[in-house]
Amino acid sequence: MIPTELGTENVGKLLKQYAMPAIVAMAAASLYNMVDSIFIGQGVGPMAIAGLAVTFPLMNLSTAFGTLVGVGAATLISMLLGQKNYYMANRVLGNVVMLNVAIGVFVTVVGLVFLDPILYFFGASEVTIPYAREYMVIILAANIITHLYYGLNGVVRASGLPRKAMLATLLAVGLNTVLDPIFIFVLDMGIRGAAIATVLAQIVALVWITKILCDKNHVLHFSREVFRFDMKIAQRSLSIGMAPFLMNVASCFVVILINRQLQFHGGDMAIGAYGIINRIVFLFVMLNLGFTQGMQPIAGYNYGAKQYDRVRKVLKLTIICATITTTLGFLFGEIIPGTIVSLFTRDQSLRELSAHALRIDVALFPLVGFQIVVSNFFQCIGYVNKAIFLSLSRQLLFLLPFLIIFPRLWGTDGVWWSMPASDFVAAVIALVMIIRLMKNFGKDEKAILS
Amino acid sequence: MERQIIITLGRRIGAGGLEIASKLAERLGVKVYDKELIKIAARHSGISADLFEKNDERPIPKGRFARFFEQDYTQENAISEDGLFRTQSDIIRQLADEGSGIFVGRCADYVLRDREGMLSVFITADKADRIARIMEKDGLTAREAEKYIDQGERRRTSYYNYYTFKEWGDSASYDLCLNSSRFGIDGCVDCIIEMLGK
Repeated sequence: MIPTELGTENVGKLLKQYAMPAIVAMAAASLYNMVDSIFIGQGVGPMAIAGLAVTFPLMNLSTAFGTLVGVGAATLISMLLGQKNYYMANRVLGNVVMLNVAIGVFVTVVGLVFLDPILYFFGASEVTIPYAREYMVIILAANIITHLYYGLNGVVRASGLPRKAMLATLLAVGLNTVLDPIFIFVLDMGIRGAAIATVLAQIVALVWITKILCDKNHVLHFSREVFRFDMKIAQRSLSIGMAPFLMNVASCFVVILINRQLQFHGGDMAIGAYGIINRIVFLFVMLNLGFTQGMQPIAGYNYGAKQYDRVRKVLKLTIICATITTTLGFLFGEIIPGTIVSLFTRDQSLRELSAHALRIDVALFPLVGFQIVVSNFFQCIGYVNKAIFLSLSRQLLFLLPFLIIFPRLWGTDGVWWSMPASDFVAAVIALVMIIRLMKNFGKDEKAILS
Repeated sequence: MERQIIITLGRRIGAGGLEIASKLAERLGVKVYDKELIKIAARHSGISADLFEKNDERPIPKGRFARFFEQDYTQENAISEDGLFRTQSDIIRQLADEGSGIFVGRCADYVLRDREGMLSVFITADKADRIARIMEKDGLTAREAEKYIDQGERRRTSYYNYYTFKEWGDSASYDLCLNSSRFGIDGCVDCIIEMLGK
């Protein structure tokens, strides 16, 4: 049953309760990437950071294929478990594994066969491609493991064990952090070491998750009969996963464009700088997504109950939390950009370039928290199309034209400036849309009273 | 009340399912839960009835794009399609716990599938009769009635199949399938009552 405390309990307390686990999970996910970048930058060098940045779109694409299966499967399983339909839920589980393996193999084969042309297209140069290639060969070879790990982790979460799913994530992050320096510094394996550490950490986490799903006492567990392919299950999970998949593909294209523009106007160093600031910005954006995940059940329920006061309260509170977070990012980025980027590299010129880029990139960052919360808010209350539009506006619709025009005028700096410019326009649009929505709430409230 | 009676009733549009349900209820002295399920669900959950209404026996309208953000827009959110369906199912189960009832539509046969002694019935009728019934009930022409039936059933199929992972109207998923053209409304009622004790 939907807990009715959503309509009565203190909004701040609810938000804390619902957002906390999501924030931890998001922080862990972004730290995972950050740690890799830091060790690669410190242990291998500035060109390796650039090589890593060139692989971002490919990694995005691989994640996209993971969500294609994972999101739909988790949705279906949680729905089926809600109806105590354990038989079907287990069959979905079996089909998730089969789909993940099939899609994983496909990505691996296509990725490995066309690796060099893909990397060049994504902005690699003669200098950076050895690093990108070395890293990606291992990541692509282990692609099935990554997909299974993320897919099954989502299933474990959906099956009522969110704590275990989170522990698995933390386990992978922790192991990666421990293994990275061993492989990079002690064994001197270079960027390849970072890839091996990532894969090994995921293997261990995957083994643990598999063990959870082999427990016959858990409502979801593997058995021989669940591994029967079912066209209907496959179709349904893929159709649910299609939207997040396309979203990831879109962000992949944007990163390709950024990389190519940087390569054209600024060369490898500029791409390296992007590799660094991207990781920093990503952390703050992910934290915001944690807040919005916590807001979702609260805003949804109270909107459904027409308790607009509480809807407004939770929206306001989430916006405040998110704005504080991004403002912190803004302050760090403006006041001590050099210190932050020095985590990633010892190279003086890369440091200067990254610090300069970070300063521009976070220039309007305080607005970003607001923008992200508002676009997610529209989704919470069922305005899916508006949510899609708002989310794409910042990351694609407005960014794209700026990314094409600005660099022609101002070169590399134009690339950096296109990001705050897009943040600004997107925030204004979000503001207009949320004010109009709030007016509608007011009208509805009056209608209820009269 | 000596014995609990739980009947779930699936019906094709225009087959007279609701009429059968209310006659059954009258003769057995139990309640019919049809549209008022929505009101009960709204009262219990605090969520406005409009939202249940919008989602009532309808396919997932934005199903393809509803889960736009990666985070699970699922039952966590009380007003998502899945969340509303879950609340409604919980209400159906609760009502069945509390006493007898005839549940019309809303995938009740699936929701209550594990209840001992539950009788699941599906009512169909010849197409001509269904069209005639809708024409009379809603004052439509034959063509409009046919269109109304086709669209409505397409929605019902999509809704039922989405939530139950079964096929709507598949004879294998019901205890009893009756053709009201063949037996008449009263005949169907008699038959269901006779089968109740078995």
